[in-house]
Amino acid sequence: MKLIDTIKYRLTVDVAGRAFLRYERFLNARRLKNARFKSENLAPPLRISAWTKELISLHYFRGRYVEGHQPVAYVTSGGPVEILKALGYYVIYPENHAALAGARHAQMELIQSAEEFGFSQDICSYVRTDLGTALTGKTPVGKLPKPDLLLACTNICQTVLHWYRVLQKIFNVPLVVIDTPFVYTEAPPHAVEYVKKQLENELIPVAERVAGRTLKEKKFKEVVKYSKDATELWLEILNMGRHIPTPISIFDQFIHMAPIVEMRGDKVTVDFYYAMLKEVKERVKKGIGSVKNEKKRVLWDNLPVWYKLSRLAAELADRGVSMPISTYTYAWGELAPLIDIERGMESMARVYLYPILNRGTGHKLEVMRQMVKDFKLDGVILHSDRSCKPYSIGQVPQRNKLMEEFGIPALLLEADHNDERAFSEEQVASRIASFLEMMEVA
Amino acid sequence: MDILEKIPSRREVIESFKSTGGKIAAVYPYHYHRALFRAFDILPVEVWGPPGIDTTYGSSYLQPYVCSVVHSGLSFYLSGGLDVVDFIVVPHACDSLQGLGSVYIDFVKPKQPVFTIYIPRGRKDLDVEFLSKEFESIFNRLKELTGKSVTEDKLMEEILKEEEALKKVRELYSKREQISLSDYHFYRVVRSREYLPAEKFMEIADHLLENFSDGTEREGVPVIFSGLLPEPMEILEKLEEIDGRIVADDFACCGRRLYGEGKSNNPFVRMAESILNSPPDSSRGATVDERVEHLSSLVKKYGARGVVFYIVKFCEMELFYIPHMMRGLKERGIPSVYIEVDINDPLPDQTITRLEAFVEVL
Ligand code: SF4
Ligand code: SF4
Repeated sequence: MKLIDTIKYRLTVDVAGRAFLRYERFLNARRLKNARFKSENLAPPLRISAWTKELISLHYFRGRYVEGHQPVAYVTSGGPVEILKALGYYVIYPENHAALAGARHAQMELIQSAEEFGFSQDICSYVRTDLGTALTGKTPVGKLPKPDLLLACTNICQTVLHWYRVLQKIFNVPLVVIDTPFVYTEAPPHAVEYVKKQLENELIPVAERVAGRTLKEKKFKEVVKYSKDATELWLEILNMGRHIPTPISIFDQFIHMAPIVEMRGDKVTVDFYYAMLKEVKERVKKGIGSVKNEKKRVLWDNLPVWYKLSRLAAELADRGVSMPISTYTYAWGELAPLIDIERGMESMARVYLYPILNRGTGHKLEVMRQMVKDFKLDGVILHSDRSCKPYSIGQVPQRNKLMEEFGIPALLLEADHNDERAFSEEQVASRIASFLEMMEVA
Repeated sequence: MDILEKIPSRREVIESFKSTGGKIAAVYPYHYHRALFRAFDILPVEVWGPPGIDTTYGSSYLQPYVCSVVHSGLSFYLSGGLDVVDFIVVPHACDSLQGLGSVYIDFVKPKQPVFTIYIPRGRKDLDVEFLSKEFESIFNRLKELTGKSVTEDKLMEEILKEEEALKKVRELYSKREQISLSDYHFYRVVRSREYLPAEKFMEIADHLLENFSDGTEREGVPVIFSGLLPEPMEILEKLEEIDGRIVADDFACCGRRLYGEGKSNNPFVRMAESILNSPPDSSRGATVDERVEHLSSLVKKYGARGVVFYIVKFCEMELFYIPHMMRGLKERGIPSVYIEVDINDPLPDQTITRLEAFVEVL
């Protein structure tokens, strides 16, 4: 790493950037403090939003100056980031970056660039968004640093494997693949062993070589502890959604999940979720619901439709419908109990094998069943996400089972998490209208 | 005599195999080891679709954006097409096949036991070790289910038999230019390995090599096809009509399964070595460069003039590679074209025109 880059980084990020963003957070927090119900029926944003904004802005701001100061890795969202964090990597999650582009309506231009290069409309729209950035350098966050290392973990899909092969071709840097055999029912011992050995014999040596450092056990354990603490807090926050009315909705969760994905393993993330939990508890105490006059509670399955988040939230809120939980946000919390710092890599191997996306369609149904009971839900919306086959395959029978077992309406909503062209306004409106009718809140 | 007359149909093979007390495993695409099943007197019969069937059955489980291979594969089961089989095997090649395996286990719950096989995405020692254990656990489960005490020696015997059959396939490929058969006929023979017992397949291959290798070179513009499978097979006849011929392929059902031989004396390790020692392919996570290199070497070796990417719609693992592969080939002076198909639809005129235009300029 170069001294000049480090000085530049320290001055720009640690001195100027941090101070500016802290000040901005202070202003935002003041504004949020007195916020009232924004629309007629939607609760004001959580006060923590000012901090979320600061964290995300700082994260990407660091990215502009990090090259030469810290090694940079691009990692898939379920990847074993703790090892990289302990080695001092600055980490970019292309999926999160793509989601952010989607939420800011900046994704379509990027998607089009990727398609012009030859990428098919039939591949995941996260990938097309990010390849748009990788090929053109354009991004809504100003600038993304070039990676020194790529790390793809197949525990969310096989798509990432191919995606990262393309990134490898574009950036010409080492790619480590952590191959996590799909868990149809239970992971056999040889699968756990396989993942553990890949972490120990492949990821660590390559990541050490690229970073020019050796992994220290003490540091690794510290990162894992932060990771576990933040994950547990996130889970606790989500479980607050069981209260009636629900103090937070999935729309809050989608916004505030960025740190648990992007900054897992950092102390600040633990502090952040601790503060968020406190605020959510406060809401429970005061009886503030995420929507005014909550009449019905609905589960969301699959990725969000990033570019329609706020509209969907308002539409449902206007009818007294809250969405207390989603399988997607829960995915970043449910593994907390598996993290066992003392059992080191073996426990990590299990953690990386067991995300919901690496488990069978029956497991996902079971998770949804449990949610319907625990969160006292009246309906389910399953976002049939054209872009994400691993998440979406199985939704047809899952929906049927949920309707059959609980006698509640369950809607299969055809859309795409980032590609607006796959969202048909009319069709979605009419499907949601009939869903609400079935719940008697139309 | 028409070579096709020598090839029994799937139905005939299944019936005759079952009549001797054997059992049948329906196997979805695409990497697995036949010997693992043959050791238990189970004949693997592969399910690549089949094309042209009513896919509405599958729609009760799958969304429309899942590829036609998986749609047909499930529809085939749901419409009774697999009633005759005793086991169902779903190797893991992609997100869609992963979903298929999972939907089978959790929702369809067929009367037959379902096996899944996870194929690692690398070819290092670790990957071989994992795959060998994956095979071993299937072997143990088959022992339990069939009640047969098959020894590892018996398994090794079957492995050697399959290796012999594989040699024959390689020989057919290497002598392809001297075999006076149309591409359609050639692929009917090669693909009969998807369901014929090794011994029967070798008999047919020998017959072909003896009777159809008259030394005359085939005519037509030489091209290479890359993709999952040559379906609808009508494409091969169309190619001939427009004066093209396939000299080598990178099809998942054919060229990508020209496995190398395993070396180990441990049967499980040997099978794993063989599978992982296959030509670079997307389902096993090959790099873009490895695949470009492989295609270029095929082009060079067989004197092809271009490459046709013949891709099943929604097949992400293929689609990802296309832009860089086409550029990579172009840099080496090799033209290529990309064509998308749905194995259930008749070949659109547009596809034929595209292919024709491509062959014409070569
Ligand atoms: S296919 Fe699904 S899991 Fe994979 S990167 Fe895309 S959205 Fe994520
Ligand atoms: S065609 Fe592609 S997506 Fe479909 S089963 Fe085959 S490998 Fe998977």
